[in-house]
Amino acid sequence: MMCRQVRQELIACWGSTDELEAAAVEHLRVCEACRIEAALLRETRVLLHSLPAEHAPSGLTKRVVARIADEQQPAGWWSRLAAWFVPEGSPAWARATAVGVAIALAAVGGTVLYHGTTSPGPDQAIIATTVAGGAQLAIGQQEIEDLMVRHQTLELTQPLADDPGVHLVMYTSY
Amino acid sequence: MAKGTALQQAEIERLVERAKRGDQHAFGRLVEEYKDKIYSYVSRMLGDPYEAEDVTQEAFLRAYRSLPRFRGAASFHTWLYRIASNLAIDVVRRRRRSDNVSYSLDEPLETDDGEYDREIADDTRGPEEASGTRETQVAVRRAIMDLPGKLRDVMVLYELQGETYEDIAQILAVPLGTVKSRLFNARNQLKERLKSLVAAGEIEVEQ
Ligand SMILES: [Zn+2]
Repeated sequence: MMCRQVRQELIACWGSTDELEAAAVEHLRVCEACRIEAALLRETRVLLHSLPAEHAPSGLTKRVVARIADEQQPAGWWSRLAAWFVPEGSPAWARATAVGVAIALAAVGGTVLYHGTTSPGPDQAIIATTVAGGAQLAIGQQEIEDLMVRHQTLELTQPLADDPGVHLVMYTSY
Repeated sequence: MAKGTALQQAEIERLVERAKRGDQHAFGRLVEEYKDKIYSYVSRMLGDPYEAEDVTQEAFLRAYRSLPRFRGAASFHTWLYRIASNLAIDVVRRRRRSDNVSYSLDEPLETDDGEYDREIADDTRGPEEASGTRETQVAVRRAIMDLPGKLRDVMVLYELQGETYEDIAQILAVPLGTVKSRLFNARNQLKERLKSLVAAGEIEVEQ
């Protein structure tokens, strides 16, 4: 039996000689290189299996079930806005941050832009931003909702005509 | 075949049916049942516990959303693995690692399919084997991470997760012969990568 053939058999059985056929065992008796190879394989297996078991972080089930319950609620405009910036499948922290930014933008905008004018009601929160030229743009919650609905319709069917999506980006980025 | 699970197969099937009808509690029990399996697989594939948690959560979420399309042709745990595997591969790709395995590695071996025995399914280890030092474990993990993705997948699923060739073939959607040839190459490459570590210890060469 040739070294090459013996080594293939050794890999298949992780260097254990128990299951080798007689010809391979006989080869090992006379070939030190293959004996070393067998020992290396046995040790590799031991090392591989010395890794401790891994367990999911505590609370994972709770978090998954909470996210499922959350998904099945009709989403508020802020989370839909956040979802537009942070695609599905992003880490939880990124989505949470996006929701936070959307809400913060709404809150800051409402406070700054409508300062000195009629105090906005709960449905008239404002999102404001300063664009590159320093000009301030303002957009109301209702408009954002409308843009969002139009954007969601267009993004899949006619992405090139998705102007509402462009407006959402323009109005809500620094 | 669901190895190492506490719930009986019939109970799993009942929970899957309930979860399909939107029973979140039933799905929660399925998550509880499989979370360690999926997490450890993803963690060993990615080598990053935080990413592994995100991917594990996402895998379960996608499974829940896709449940109506789960026909039960594959076992539930195989199906879950498949979702997790795809997500993990996406992460690996995003990291822009070159995970291409040359064709020769995937070609069937000259040996027959039946040649590989499942001697590793027996997970009983002596106490001295189960307690590698921390540095050793780090080196072994690194060696696994250094394997090309396709080989790492099979290595982790077979050697560490204890999945069968048949289940791995389903999970990765590759022929049985490919699973075996990848495992062969994975063992060979791991041996080469750990050679210095092994040589530093005592090699016992049987006479
Ligand atoms: Zn030889």
